[in-house]
Amino acid sequence: MYGGDEVSAIVIDLGSHTCKAGYAGEDAPKAVFPSVVGSIDQMEVDDPTNVEKNSGSALDSKNNVKPLDSDKAKGKRKLYVGSQALGYRRDHMEVLSPLKDGVVVDWDMVDSIWDHAFRECLLIDPKEHPMLLAESSSNTPQQRERTAELMFEKYKVPALFLAKNAVLTSFASGRATSLVVDSGGGSTTVAPVHDGYVLQKAVASSPIGGEFLSDCLMKSLESKGITIKPRYSFKRKEIRPGEFQTVDLDFPNTTESYKLYSQRAIVSDIKECVCRAPDTPYDESAYSNIPMTPYELPDGQTIEIGADRFKTPDVLFNPSLVQTIPGMESFAEVASSVRGLPQMVIESINKCDVDIRRELFSSILLAGGTASMQQLKERLEKDLLEESPQAARVKVLASGNATERRFSVWIGGSILASLGSFQQMWFSKSEYEEHGASYIQRKCP
Amino acid sequence: MDAKDILGLPKTPFSLTQEKKSRPQKDSQRKPDGISREVYALTGGLAPLMPSLDISQLKRPPPSDEKITWQWLPFTNSARKDNLQLYHWVRIVNGVPPTGDYSFAKYNKSVGIVKYTDEEYEKYLTDPMWTKEETDQLFDLCERFDLRFVVIADRFPSSRTVEELKNRYYSVSRDILVARAPSSGDVSGHPLVKDPYNFSQEIERKRALSMVLSQTKQQERKDAEVLAEAKKITESRMAARAAEESELPVTSNVGPENTEKANVPDETASPSSNAQLPSAIIAPPTLMADTAATMASLRMLRVYLRTYALEQMVQAASSTAGLRTIKRVEQTLQDLGVNLKPRVPTKAVCAEHLELRKEILTLLNLQKQLQYKEAEGSSYRENSYAETPSTPKRPHRVGDLDRTFIPDSISFGGNILGDNGHLVMASHSLPTCFLFSISISISISISISILWMSWPPSSVPINCLSNWDFRG
Repeated sequence: MYGGDEVSAIVIDLGSHTCKAGYAGEDAPKAVFPSVVGSIDQMEVDDPTNVEKNSGSALDSKNNVKPLDSDKAKGKRKLYVGSQALGYRRDHMEVLSPLKDGVVVDWDMVDSIWDHAFRECLLIDPKEHPMLLAESSSNTPQQRERTAELMFEKYKVPALFLAKNAVLTSFASGRATSLVVDSGGGSTTVAPVHDGYVLQKAVASSPIGGEFLSDCLMKSLESKGITIKPRYSFKRKEIRPGEFQTVDLDFPNTTESYKLYSQRAIVSDIKECVCRAPDTPYDESAYSNIPMTPYELPDGQTIEIGADRFKTPDVLFNPSLVQTIPGMESFAEVASSVRGLPQMVIESINKCDVDIRRELFSSILLAGGTASMQQLKERLEKDLLEESPQAARVKVLASGNATERRFSVWIGGSILASLGSFQQMWFSKSEYEEHGASYIQRKCP
Repeated sequence: MDAKDILGLPKTPFSLTQEKKSRPQKDSQRKPDGISREVYALTGGLAPLMPSLDISQLKRPPPSDEKITWQWLPFTNSARKDNLQLYHWVRIVNGVPPTGDYSFAKYNKSVGIVKYTDEEYEKYLTDPMWTKEETDQLFDLCERFDLRFVVIADRFPSSRTVEELKNRYYSVSRDILVARAPSSGDVSGHPLVKDPYNFSQEIERKRALSMVLSQTKQQERKDAEVLAEAKKITESRMAARAAEESELPVTSNVGPENTEKANVPDETASPSSNAQLPSAIIAPPTLMADTAATMASLRMLRVYLRTYALEQMVQAASSTAGLRTIKRVEQTLQDLGVNLKPRVPTKAVCAEHLELRKEILTLLNLQKQLQYKEAEGSSYRENSYAETPSTPKRPHRVGDLDRTFIPDSISFGGNILGDNGHLVMASHSLPTCFLFSISISISISISISILWMSWPPSSVPINCLSNWDFRG
């Protein structure tokens, strides 16, 4: 009756911060892990026996024996994927991300991430399940073809479909036409969806995302003299019952990127607990006397956070605030060319056809991890009411559940892949073999 | 596949065995014939029916003689062009898998786009602004996206507006249709031929819509402020005008008022409607306030009839009087032979009529007060007799009874001069218009006292005087 038909499809959403994977038809992804990999170059270790040892170990490491792209003269690397593998400190381990500005730069890493998801998290054989992948709303055709190649050649999936993030979010809320504001880890994208298709000429995106806000907060705290010790760098010993003493450990071979990664994890937690979007644009004088909120760091230090609680989220609305944060000057030129969130929304709507503008105004959806920030929806609505035309009724919608907002793209994919009338739209292996990878442009609009 | 399948329940709400029980229930719940369902719903209608499950059905499994299993089987989908076989759960009854196409294949509908050949293009469809490749691309996109022109415009390689694309598509389709039809009469009923796409109108419409939508809140606020300012200015002008006219002295004659009103038509921009503005109906001094008020209210109207004005004046004038008084006024008018409403309502006639009404009203009021005072006076006289036993006028009581009437009238006149606080208060409470009635009564009493002076009994004047003193 509801039009569903389970074909046990798998839905994967590789975001800039986390990767979500799970079965279609369910209401939350089973596997959620960071979409960065730890890599140790094997160049220093040139013992051939090492390769066998590496291939033998199956604990929590994933071997990347043969890179897909042989153009890269990187040599052998060991890649560690998953929150468990990354949580363990290793010497010389660099933390790298496969995506840069939303574009995949390293296909090996993407491959290893997928493999980890299939074999270790979901425990499936990709040959038996059709795959639905979520892609960025401004994905290039070359990337899509590459994705199709990788999936069909390496994993031999029976069928594939690439859906845009914005479309999936729109379906997750039951609408065919809406304006999707996706504020995730790496970037914020505003994309209008009309009748189930993204209007690509009107997509607006900005590099300010959750990670950027975490960096702002971290620099701001450091400028106030608070050092954030990563978790691996100390140990807490119980001297007396209930009382702990912190002992610093030193690991000289830890890479900078790993240290940064660990620190970012702590600061993200601070941000999620403490930060709130201010009701009015941030003003230094207004917030100089607000009460401070305490937060206990993992090493036992208690810090007080005051105006930064409101200043950091306001960077989304007013990127030029970045210049006032000491230590972020390198981002100043980037930030000056970027507009705030309400301006992006209005710009995106004005690029669309006049007939659909009203409908877009009245169904603005919020999605993404950063969108779960408290009071963000109210602030955005207020700002939009100021700048939008009188004739249009502005309505910002966001599901009340924070989990739903974080995973709305994945949930949309789960809904789509389990619909009966979607089963005719898969891009199957036989079609790939017949027409080639470029056929995906036709099949997955 | 849905919950009923999984539970193994029949799909229809009532199974065969329970049809008879349900039938009378069903009949009474039908809507009456003759009116549509929505109209009936407006009056309250039927309670919404839901296909409900009978409780007894849920408790016991249906007596099935069939063996039901679920299997994970491959299926083909006729909506697909290749032979991809995906797997899904299938309900197997007695080991026989269901046949037939995939149940969702029937939802694969698409729009029928006309296809043209190259020769047809050469013959009918060439257009200076469109190349063949572009037209081909357009039709390809139309087919892929089912005529969603907003999306097509977004994906079109070169930037063309939605109206241009629509225009090209509809004109090409129309030309093809007309060209392929055996005769023009066949296709004249086709919607494409009957109502062609109006390119310029669409552009205009979109331009207007974009203007409406581009007005931001701040501009709206500014517009609202400007309008409020304008309203305030007009209101202050009206107030100034009204103030000027109420300040005019009532005894001013028609001339200045007319000139003043002649100025008013100059100010307001519609001389034709103001030609019928009221010229003066000069009010008597006593009722200036009333007429001024009605005149102000009449001035609000630009055009009105004189009878209407007269009615307003009459109403204003008689507002202080009761219904009975109004009736008596009208009765008096009729006795005098005057029509209640003047036959020829010119300015002068209306004024005179109004005057007459007012005078009659005054007369009636005075008469009423006179009677009232007489009654009061007699009641006071009786009271004063009862109160004082040792008055010298006791032996003259019998005589006094004869004189009660006359002294009453004297007492009226005397009351003006008298210093008995009791009665003097009563006199001071009379409204000033009764001065007339009192002057009348004084004249009567003086004439009566003159008559008395000529009367023989000598004790009487002395007694009268003593009575007078007592009562004065």
